[in-house]
Amino acid sequence: MAEQENGATAEQTAAKMKAEEEGMRVMVAIDESDGSLYALSWTLDHFMAASSTLAQPRSLIVFHAQQPFQQFVVPAGQGVFVSASVTDSMRKAQEENSAHVLAKAIKVCEERNVIAEALVMDGEPKEMICQAVQQKSVDLVVVGSRGLGKFKRAFLGSVSDYVAHHAKCPVVIVKPPKEDH
Amino acid sequence: MAAAAEKTPMMVVVGIDDSEHSYYAIQWVISNFLSVHGTFKLAIIHAQPSPAYAVGLSGTVGFFGAGTADALPYVESDLTKISSRVIDKAKELCSANSVKDVVYEVIEGDPRNILPEAVEKYHADVLVVGSHGYGAIKRAVLGSVSDHCAHHAHCSVMIVKNPKPKH
Repeated sequence: MAEQENGATAEQTAAKMKAEEEGMRVMVAIDESDGSLYALSWTLDHFMAASSTLAQPRSLIVFHAQQPFQQFVVPAGQGVFVSASVTDSMRKAQEENSAHVLAKAIKVCEERNVIAEALVMDGEPKEMICQAVQQKSVDLVVVGSRGLGKFKRAFLGSVSDYVAHHAKCPVVIVKPPKEDH
Repeated sequence: MAAAAEKTPMMVVVGIDDSEHSYYAIQWVISNFLSVHGTFKLAIIHAQPSPAYAVGLSGTVGFFGAGTADALPYVESDLTKISSRVIDKAKELCSANSVKDVVYEVIEGDPRNILPEAVEKYHADVLVVGSHGYGAIKRAVLGSVSDHCAHHAHCSVMIVKNPKPKH
Protein backbone atom coordinates (compact mmCIF):
# COMPACT_ATOMS: atom_id res chain seq x y z
CA MET A 1 0.00 0.00 0.00
CA ALA A 2 2.68 2.42 1.02
CA GLU A 3 4.65 1.25 -1.98
CA GLN A 4 1.81 1.94 -4.35
CA GLU A 5 1.39 5.41 -2.95
CA ASN A 6 5.03 6.15 -3.29
CA GLY A 7 4.99 4.73 -6.80
CA ALA A 8 2.17 7.07 -7.74
CA THR A 9 4.01 10.01 -6.32
CA ALA A 10 7.11 9.06 -8.24
CA GLU A 11 5.12 8.87 -11.43
CA GLN A 12 3.46 12.17 -10.76
CA THR A 13 6.85 13.74 -10.25
CA ALA A 14 8.05 12.17 -13.47
CA ALA A 15 5.03 13.47 -15.36
CA LYS A 16 5.46 16.90 -13.88
CA MET A 17 9.08 16.91 -14.78
CA LYS A 18 8.31 15.90 -18.35
CA ALA A 19 5.84 18.75 -18.60
CA GLU A 20 8.42 21.14 -17.29
CA GLU A 21 10.79 19.68 -19.80
CA GLU A 22 8.87 21.33 -22.59
CA GLY A 23 11.33 23.33 -24.56
CA MET A 24 14.15 22.81 -22.11
CA ARG A 25 16.47 25.77 -22.41
CA VAL A 26 20.14 24.97 -22.15
CA MET A 27 22.81 27.62 -21.93
CA VAL A 28 26.53 27.08 -22.38
CA ALA A 29 28.93 29.79 -21.26
CA ILE A 30 31.85 30.30 -23.59
CA ASP A 31 35.12 32.13 -23.27
CA GLU A 32 38.31 31.90 -25.29
CA SER A 33 39.42 28.72 -23.55
CA ASP A 34 39.40 25.30 -25.16
CA GLY A 35 37.72 24.02 -22.04
CA SER A 36 34.56 25.93 -22.76
CA LEU A 37 34.45 24.73 -26.37
CA TYR A 38 34.77 21.21 -25.06
CA ALA A 39 31.92 21.96 -22.65
CA LEU A 40 29.85 23.02 -25.63
CA SER A 41 30.64 19.82 -27.55
CA TRP A 42 29.81 17.82 -24.46
CA THR A 43 26.48 19.56 -24.13
CA LEU A 44 25.69 18.98 -27.79
CA ASP A 45 26.51 15.31 -27.50
CA HIS A 46 24.77 14.61 -24.22
CA PHE A 47 21.88 16.99 -24.04
CA MET A 48 21.07 17.93 -27.59
CA ALA A 49 22.09 14.81 -29.48
CA ALA A 50 18.78 13.07 -29.69
CA SER A 51 16.81 16.28 -29.45
CA SER A 52 14.85 15.36 -32.51
CA THR A 53 13.65 12.18 -30.86
CA LEU A 54 12.37 14.00 -27.81
CA ALA A 55 8.76 15.03 -27.53
CA GLN A 56 9.70 18.57 -26.70
CA PRO A 57 12.42 20.43 -28.55
CA ARG A 58 15.35 21.77 -26.62
CA SER A 59 16.88 25.12 -27.30
CA LEU A 60 20.49 26.09 -26.89
CA ILE A 61 21.95 29.44 -26.01
CA VAL A 62 25.63 30.11 -26.44
CA PHE A 63 26.57 32.78 -23.99
CA HIS A 64 29.60 35.01 -23.81
CA ALA A 65 30.33 37.72 -21.30
CA GLN A 66 32.51 40.63 -22.26
CA GLN A 67 34.64 41.68 -19.36
CA PRO A 68 33.90 45.21 -18.24
CA PHE A 69 36.10 47.40 -20.26
CA GLN A 70 38.55 49.16 -18.02
CA GLN A 71 40.12 52.35 -18.99
CA PHE A 72 43.78 52.11 -18.57
CA VAL A 73 46.51 54.58 -18.58
CA VAL A 74 49.02 54.58 -21.39
CA PRO A 75 52.37 56.01 -20.46
CA ALA A 76 53.63 57.91 -23.39
CA GLY A 77 56.59 60.13 -23.40
CA GLN A 78 56.27 63.19 -21.20
CA GLY A 79 52.89 62.60 -19.79
CA VAL A 80 50.44 59.93 -19.01
CA PHE A 81 47.12 60.04 -20.73
CA VAL A 82 44.30 57.97 -22.05
CA SER A 83 43.73 58.45 -25.67
CA ALA A 84 40.21 58.21 -26.99
CA SER A 85 41.46 56.36 -30.01
CA VAL A 86 43.19 53.78 -27.82
CA THR A 87 39.98 53.25 -25.89
CA ASP A 88 38.05 52.85 -29.09
CA SER A 89 40.45 50.41 -30.61
CA MET A 90 40.52 48.38 -27.40
CA ARG A 91 36.77 48.18 -27.42
CA LYS A 92 36.76 47.22 -31.03
CA ALA A 93 39.33 44.51 -30.42
CA GLN A 94 37.21 43.20 -27.58
CA GLU A 95 34.12 43.06 -29.73
CA GLU A 96 35.99 41.35 -32.49
CA ASN A 97 37.26 38.86 -29.97
CA SER A 98 33.75 38.16 -28.71
CA ALA A 99 32.48 37.78 -32.25
CA HIS A 100 35.30 35.37 -33.00
CA VAL A 101 34.61 33.30 -29.89
CA LEU A 102 30.93 33.10 -30.66
CA ALA A 103 31.50 32.30 -34.32
CA LYS A 104 33.64 29.34 -33.32
CA ALA A 105 30.94 28.16 -30.98
CA ILE A 106 28.14 28.51 -33.49
CA LYS A 107 30.22 26.56 -35.98
CA VAL A 108 30.57 23.69 -33.51
CA CYS A 109 26.79 23.70 -33.12
CA GLU A 110 26.22 23.74 -36.86
CA GLU A 111 28.50 20.76 -37.33
CA ARG A 112 25.99 18.84 -35.27
CA ASN A 113 22.97 20.37 -36.91
CA VAL A 114 21.98 22.33 -33.86
CA ILE A 115 20.75 25.88 -34.14
CA ALA A 116 21.88 27.95 -31.22
CA GLU A 117 21.09 31.46 -30.08
CA ALA A 118 24.10 33.62 -29.36
CA LEU A 119 23.98 35.96 -26.42
CA VAL A 120 26.55 38.50 -25.33
CA MET A 121 26.43 40.53 -22.16
CA ASP A 122 28.76 43.13 -20.76
CA GLY A 123 30.07 42.53 -17.30
CA GLU A 124 31.78 40.08 -15.00
CA PRO A 125 31.30 36.64 -16.54
CA LYS A 126 30.26 34.91 -13.34
CA GLU A 127 27.59 37.47 -12.54
CA MET A 128 26.41 37.78 -16.11
CA ILE A 129 25.98 34.04 -16.46
CA CYS A 130 23.72 33.95 -13.43
CA GLN A 131 21.82 36.97 -14.62
CA ALA A 132 21.31 35.45 -18.04
CA VAL A 133 19.97 32.30 -16.39
CA GLN A 134 17.29 34.39 -14.73
CA GLN A 135 16.50 36.61 -17.66
CA LYS A 136 16.29 33.87 -20.23
CA SER A 137 14.61 31.29 -17.97
CA VAL A 138 17.42 28.88 -18.53
CA ASP A 139 16.77 25.35 -17.30
CA LEU A 140 20.36 24.15 -17.38
CA VAL A 141 23.63 26.04 -17.51
CA VAL A 142 26.88 24.43 -18.59
CA VAL A 143 30.32 25.77 -17.86
CA GLY A 144 33.83 24.52 -18.37
CA SER A 145 35.85 23.90 -15.25
CA ARG A 146 38.78 26.19 -15.61
CA GLY A 147 38.45 28.81 -18.29
CA LEU A 148 41.74 30.51 -18.95
CA GLY A 149 43.58 29.21 -15.92
CA LYS A 150 46.45 26.89 -16.55
CA PHE A 151 46.15 24.90 -13.37
CA LYS A 152 45.78 21.19 -12.96
CA ARG A 153 42.43 19.56 -13.32
CA ALA A 154 41.74 19.53 -9.62
CA PHE A 155 41.43 23.26 -9.56
CA LEU A 156 38.06 24.77 -10.19
CA GLY A 157 37.92 28.15 -11.81
CA SER A 158 36.30 31.03 -9.99
CA VAL A 159 33.57 31.44 -12.58
CA SER A 160 32.48 27.80 -12.46
CA ASP A 161 32.64 27.85 -8.69
CA TYR A 162 30.53 30.99 -8.50
CA VAL A 163 27.99 29.69 -11.00
CA ALA A 164 27.74 26.36 -9.16
CA HIS A 165 26.76 28.24 -6.02
CA HIS A 166 24.63 31.03 -7.38
CA ALA A 167 22.86 29.92 -10.52
CA LYS A 168 19.20 29.31 -9.90
CA CYS A 169 19.02 26.26 -12.10
CA PRO A 170 20.93 22.98 -12.43
CA VAL A 171 24.59 23.43 -13.33
CA VAL A 172 26.95 21.15 -15.18
CA ILE A 173 30.66 21.68 -14.79
CA VAL A 174 32.37 19.93 -17.65
CA LYS A 175 35.89 18.78 -17.01
CA PRO A 176 38.23 18.25 -19.92
CA PRO A 177 38.78 14.67 -21.02
CA LYS A 178 41.41 12.74 -19.15
CA GLU A 179 44.76 13.18 -20.78
CA ASP A 180 47.36 12.52 -18.15
CA HIS A 181 46.80 11.05 -14.77
CA MET B 1 34.40 13.65 -37.43
CA ALA B 2 31.86 10.97 -36.67
CA ALA B 3 30.40 10.95 -33.22
CA ALA B 4 29.29 7.41 -33.81
CA ALA B 5 32.05 6.15 -31.57
CA GLU B 6 30.14 7.70 -28.67
CA LYS B 7 28.09 4.57 -28.11
CA THR B 8 29.95 3.26 -25.10
CA PRO B 9 27.53 3.38 -22.20
CA MET B 10 27.81 6.52 -20.19
CA MET B 11 28.53 5.90 -16.52
CA VAL B 12 26.56 8.16 -14.25
CA VAL B 13 27.08 8.21 -10.50
CA VAL B 14 24.42 9.91 -8.40
CA GLY B 15 25.20 10.80 -4.80
CA ILE B 16 22.15 10.88 -2.60
CA ASP B 17 21.16 11.51 0.96
CA ASP B 18 17.89 11.47 2.79
CA SER B 19 16.49 14.65 1.37
CA GLU B 20 14.02 15.80 -1.24
CA HIS B 21 16.91 17.38 -3.13
CA SER B 22 18.33 13.94 -3.80
CA TYR B 23 15.13 12.36 -5.07
CA TYR B 24 14.56 15.39 -7.24
CA ALA B 25 18.08 15.00 -8.60
CA ILE B 26 17.49 11.35 -9.48
CA GLN B 27 14.25 12.20 -11.24
CA TRP B 28 15.81 15.13 -13.06
CA VAL B 29 18.71 13.07 -14.33
CA ILE B 30 16.42 10.31 -15.51
CA SER B 31 14.01 12.66 -17.26
CA ASN B 32 16.43 15.11 -18.78
CA PHE B 33 19.75 13.46 -19.19
CA LEU B 34 19.45 9.70 -19.46
CA SER B 35 16.55 10.01 -21.84
CA VAL B 36 18.87 11.57 -24.38
CA HIS B 37 21.89 9.40 -24.09
CA GLY B 38 21.14 6.06 -25.64
CA THR B 39 23.02 3.73 -23.37
CA PHE B 40 24.00 4.42 -19.83
CA LYS B 41 24.76 2.79 -16.53
CA LEU B 42 23.68 4.28 -13.28
CA ALA B 43 25.20 3.95 -9.83
CA ILE B 44 23.28 5.46 -6.98
CA ILE B 45 25.44 6.00 -3.96
CA HIS B 46 24.19 6.84 -0.53
CA ALA B 47 26.83 8.02 1.90
CA GLN B 48 25.67 6.91 5.30
CA PRO B 49 27.05 9.16 7.99
CA SER B 50 29.10 7.32 10.56
CA PRO B 51 27.41 7.28 13.97
CA ALA B 52 30.16 9.12 15.77
CA TYR B 53 29.95 11.81 13.17
CA ALA B 54 26.21 12.03 13.35
CA VAL B 55 26.16 12.17 17.11
CA GLY B 56 29.14 14.27 18.00
CA LEU B 57 29.50 16.41 14.92
CA SER B 58 33.13 16.05 15.89
CA GLY B 59 33.92 19.17 17.75
CA THR B 60 30.82 20.13 19.62
CA VAL B 61 32.44 19.26 22.88
CA GLY B 62 30.19 18.88 25.82
CA PHE B 63 26.96 19.14 23.93
CA PHE B 64 26.22 15.47 24.03
CA GLY B 65 28.61 14.78 26.84
CA ALA B 66 28.60 11.58 28.77
CA GLY B 67 26.49 8.80 27.41
CA THR B 68 27.45 9.56 23.85
CA ALA B 69 29.09 6.18 23.56
CA ASP B 70 25.90 4.52 24.77
CA ALA B 71 23.90 6.28 22.13
CA LEU B 72 26.06 4.99 19.30
CA PRO B 73 24.38 1.62 18.76
CA TYR B 74 20.98 3.28 18.59
CA VAL B 75 22.23 5.92 16.25
CA GLU B 76 23.84 3.27 14.09
CA SER B 77 20.63 1.31 13.72
CA ASP B 78 18.69 4.48 13.00
CA LEU B 79 21.16 5.44 10.32
CA THR B 80 20.95 1.98 8.80
CA LYS B 81 17.17 2.25 8.71
CA ILE B 82 17.38 5.63 7.08
CA SER B 83 19.80 4.28 4.49
CA SER B 84 17.46 1.42 3.62
CA ARG B 85 14.63 3.86 3.21
CA VAL B 86 16.73 6.09 1.00
CA ILE B 87 17.75 3.22 -1.24
CA ASP B 88 14.19 1.93 -1.41
CA LYS B 89 12.96 5.30 -2.55
CA ALA B 90 15.71 5.48 -5.13
CA LYS B 91 14.71 2.03 -6.40
CA GLU B 92 11.10 3.13 -6.69
CA LEU B 93 12.08 6.17 -8.70
CA CYS B 94 14.14 4.08 -11.07
CA SER B 95 11.51 1.43 -11.59
CA ALA B 96 8.79 4.04 -12.02
CA ASN B 97 10.87 5.31 -14.90
CA SER B 98 11.82 1.88 -16.22
CA VAL B 99 15.47 2.49 -15.58
CA LYS B 100 17.20 -0.85 -15.52
CA ASP B 101 20.96 -0.84 -15.38
CA VAL B 102 21.34 0.48 -11.85
CA VAL B 103 23.69 -0.32 -9.01
CA TYR B 104 22.79 0.83 -5.52
CA GLU B 105 25.40 1.24 -2.84
CA VAL B 106 25.46 2.44 0.73
CA ILE B 107 28.86 3.48 1.96
CA GLU B 108 29.53 4.70 5.43
CA GLY B 109 31.56 7.83 5.80
CA ASP B 110 31.95 11.37 4.65
CA PRO B 111 30.22 12.05 1.33
CA ARG B 112 32.93 14.47 0.36
CA ASN B 113 35.37 11.56 0.19
CA ILE B 114 32.96 8.84 -0.76
CA LEU B 115 31.59 10.45 -3.89
CA PRO B 116 34.91 11.27 -5.59
CA GLU B 117 36.05 7.74 -4.68
CA ALA B 118 32.92 6.29 -6.21
CA VAL B 119 33.69 8.27 -9.35
CA GLU B 120 37.05 6.52 -9.53
CA LYS B 121 35.65 3.12 -8.71
CA TYR B 122 32.93 3.23 -11.34
CA HIS B 123 34.97 5.22 -13.86
CA ALA B 124 32.14 7.68 -13.93
CA ASP B 125 31.68 10.08 -16.78
CA VAL B 126 29.37 12.26 -14.74
CA LEU B 127 28.76 12.74 -11.02
CA VAL B 128 25.34 14.04 -10.09
CA VAL B 129 24.54 15.62 -6.77
CA GLY B 130 21.60 17.54 -5.39
CA SER B 131 22.19 21.11 -4.47
CA HIS B 132 22.40 21.38 -0.76
CA GLY B 133 24.16 18.29 0.29
CA TYR B 134 23.32 16.46 3.32
CA GLY B 135 20.35 17.25 5.42
CA ALA B 136 19.36 20.08 7.67
CA ILE B 137 21.82 19.46 10.47
CA LYS B 138 24.89 19.10 8.41
CA ARG B 139 24.25 21.83 5.95
CA ALA B 140 25.65 24.33 8.40
CA VAL B 141 28.70 22.29 9.26
CA LEU B 142 29.78 20.84 5.96
CA GLY B 143 29.38 23.75 3.68
CA SER B 144 28.72 22.35 0.31
CA VAL B 145 29.28 18.72 -0.55
CA SER B 146 28.45 19.54 -4.11
CA ASP B 147 31.09 22.23 -4.07
CA HIS B 148 33.70 19.80 -2.79
CA CYS B 149 32.76 17.27 -5.44
CA ALA B 150 32.93 19.91 -8.15
CA HIS B 151 36.51 20.56 -7.10
CA HIS B 152 37.69 17.04 -6.50
CA ALA B 153 35.80 14.60 -8.66
CA HIS B 154 37.75 13.74 -11.76
CA CYS B 155 34.78 13.89 -14.05
CA SER B 156 32.09 16.32 -15.05
CA VAL B 157 29.80 17.27 -12.21
CA MET B 158 26.10 17.95 -12.46
CA ILE B 159 24.58 19.91 -9.60
CA VAL B 160 20.83 19.59 -9.71
CA LYS B 161 19.12 22.42 -7.96
CA ASN B 162 15.63 22.03 -6.71
CA PRO B 163 13.70 25.07 -7.85
CA LYS B 164 11.31 24.86 -4.92
CA PRO B 165 11.44 28.03 -2.89
CA LYS B 166 13.30 27.65 0.36
CA HIS B 167 11.57 28.33 3.63
